[in-house]
Amino acid sequence: MKKVTSARISQLLFLALFLVLFLMTEYRGSDRIVAAVNGFFRADPLTASSTMLAVKAYLPLLLPGLIMLVAALFLGRFFCGWICPLGTILDLVTGRIRKVGALRALAGRAKYWLLLPLLAASLLGVNLAGLLDPIALLLRALTFFFHPLFGDTVRGGWRSLYGLVWERRDLLDPGYRLIRDYLLPFRETLYPLAFLSALLFMLILFLERYETRAWCRRLCPLGTLLGLVSRLGPLRRTPAKLCADCRACREHCPTSFDQDLLQTEECILCMECALHCPSRRVRFRFAGPRAQAGPVMERRVFLGGLLGGVVLARGFRFREPAAQAKLLRPPGVRDEEEFLKKCVRCGECMKVCLRSALYPALFQAGAEGLYTPLVVPRLGYCEYNCTLCGQVCPTGAIPDLATQEKQRQVIGKAVFDKNHCLPFAKRIDCIVCEEHCPIPGKAIRSERVELTGFDGAKRTVQQPYVVDELCNGCGICENVCPLEGKAAIEVFRVKDRTPLKPSSPAAPPPQDPYTDPYAGNS
Amino acid sequence: MERRQFIKILGMSSLFLHGWLRNLFAAQGPVVAVGQGTDHAGITRKTLAALGGMQRFVKPGQTVVVKPNIGWDRTPEYAATTNPLVVKAVVEECLKAGAKRVKVFDRTCNDPRRCYASSGIESALKGMKNVEVKHLEEERFQKVALNGKVLKEWELYGEALSADVYINLPVAKHHGLSRLTLGMKNVMGIMGGNRGSIHKNIDQALADINASFRPHLTLIDATRILTAHGPQGGNLADVKVLNQVIASTDIVAADAYATTLFGLKPADIAVTRTAYQRGLGEMNLDKMRIVRV
Repeated sequence: MKKVTSARISQLLFLALFLVLFLMTEYRGSDRIVAAVNGFFRADPLTASSTMLAVKAYLPLLLPGLIMLVAALFLGRFFCGWICPLGTILDLVTGRIRKVGALRALAGRAKYWLLLPLLAASLLGVNLAGLLDPIALLLRALTFFFHPLFGDTVRGGWRSLYGLVWERRDLLDPGYRLIRDYLLPFRETLYPLAFLSALLFMLILFLERYETRAWCRRLCPLGTLLGLVSRLGPLRRTPAKLCADCRACREHCPTSFDQDLLQTEECILCMECALHCPSRRVRFRFAGPRAQAGPVMERRVFLGGLLGGVVLARGFRFREPAAQAKLLRPPGVRDEEEFLKKCVRCGECMKVCLRSALYPALFQAGAEGLYTPLVVPRLGYCEYNCTLCGQVCPTGAIPDLATQEKQRQVIGKAVFDKNHCLPFAKRIDCIVCEEHCPIPGKAIRSERVELTGFDGAKRTVQQPYVVDELCNGCGICENVCPLEGKAAIEVFRVKDRTPLKPSSPAAPPPQDPYTDPYAGNS
Repeated sequence: MERRQFIKILGMSSLFLHGWLRNLFAAQGPVVAVGQGTDHAGITRKTLAALGGMQRFVKPGQTVVVKPNIGWDRTPEYAATTNPLVVKAVVEECLKAGAKRVKVFDRTCNDPRRCYASSGIESALKGMKNVEVKHLEEERFQKVALNGKVLKEWELYGEALSADVYINLPVAKHHGLSRLTLGMKNVMGIMGGNRGSIHKNIDQALADINASFRPHLTLIDATRILTAHGPQGGNLADVKVLNQVIASTDIVAADAYATTLFGLKPADIAVTRTAYQRGLGEMNLDKMRIVRV
């Protein structure tokens, strides 16, 4: 067990906070959820810088991230040693992993080769930083894999308990309710990229085999960015080198004393060296600009990084046209390019989505759109009165809109497939889509048609149709279509996503006289 | 008089005195109690009293299921879900009659958490002792043999099946396919599986379920009714305030009476007509005893 230090306490508190905020990213009976749930992302300097580079404007939402960057200038990589929940998890497990010695491939400039292309791609309008951002990596592993796994296990156990003891299970119900209401995901969703999210997380743990905090010091783009900034700052550790008579720092330091000289970019300010210094020599203090500590940004790395960004931003542009048709973005997203600039692929919106309508894109949005959220109506629909995804989006890629405004945002337009739709293809009644359409004036309506059924009998059938001016593409029709597999009504992407006109309750749209229950009434 | 002649006269007279034989031997028609007033809890209690009070249905120590319509994410004024005041009054009457436990639930169409919260029913019943407002749990659905005309079997909700008393508490509103949703359609709230698939034959399918699963009491909330764009509406212009509740042990009779509130005849509603034809209840208004309170 590690010794209790301020850094350790801070780490554990922030990890707990991270987990609590994660669990709070869920509808709990109120239309608004606390803005703090995305706090870690908004205070994430990598998110802030990559997003602002991409949109080339200042985003007030991300001010905490900028503050953190400035703080790093003065305090170094304290974020990594005191706050980062992924770092804390690594610290918690690393003691149990036997070390086999550093990997040569990761030493050197590898981390700059990751960070620079990501930032350069941002500059070219594709914000990919979230792919390797540690907070995003952790949140996605939790959202897509561990939390559903946990929910599935607990709920599965609860279900099978019912099979064993039946109604007697109700005795335990109050306890289960507590767990269900506060710890479990409301519904078990299987996510397409669960395996990749879990795999990346496991890989980061696996790297601990080579050295402590291997990910943090050798790869993490957020840590690298903070390290670059901290090089310029006035905070110094003295002595900068291992002392000839002691060299104990090498044992205590988790990150930056694999050489004789302290590696400022890798120092996570855990203070272990100062706390354990036998002769109390070690000090961290502010001094003037540092003496030359060796080159980081060789021209080769810099140019190569830029080039890598171009490849990332432009080399993966290919998009399959057929996949484009169903490339539905969350409500309020009107411009795909702008969305790609702002989306940090953090997974918050997918975590919070009430009806599990949002899923990470695999290749629907091209390789550059990996992990960006997509509405998949056959699996879940956009709940009419829900605005949660916009509330939790840390960068405003999904705008936070008032309920009535969100209801008018166009996700896509519904289209019937008459070869499938029962009233057309089989000449029998259905209209489940019309029933569920939440638009007050109904974007799906139906007309009564006299038909001869395929059994030869005359009958009236209600055949549905879509009123394009009213359809916001929420997808509930596609979701509830009772046909198996492919729905007979599908929401397709449209370029023009101008919000619907506000509905005027004073003038309800004209109705088919038959469906008016007051027909014939004086 | 010869026997043959007697039978002839009997037969002929039945032609002219339509239904007299049936009336002679039939039990008195169902009682439909109709309460009216702006105190929605009060009229609910009075209407129940007119049927003989809740103690007629609920005996001390029994478990009661009250099944309102909580199907949509709408607030009560939109008349898409059952009025929470009416639900609360019914639940209170059940407890007063000695119910050991009252369970309130519905299988919702929108997100259940939102539906329960927006309907006002969850908060109206919050903190009441021995009352559970529950979300449905998938494992409690049980296959039930219906042996109906179109539905041979279906999954119904176990807690509804095992209840001692089942009280059906729909709101009266418009529906695009069945024209109205009333008591008999409210039973869809305990159906599992792909409910939408019964739309292709909804009147027969609902008759099948209602033939097998019979609520002990149906109380229709018509304090506000939704007259168009149902079943969830969303436009206050479609809502009409009637301040009425209708209660009966005969679900078809309750539905038939409620139909008239929309300016329609009971026979206009295929679901009601089919149920009547299959002997599930009375739909002729003149054969019911309508008690107004």
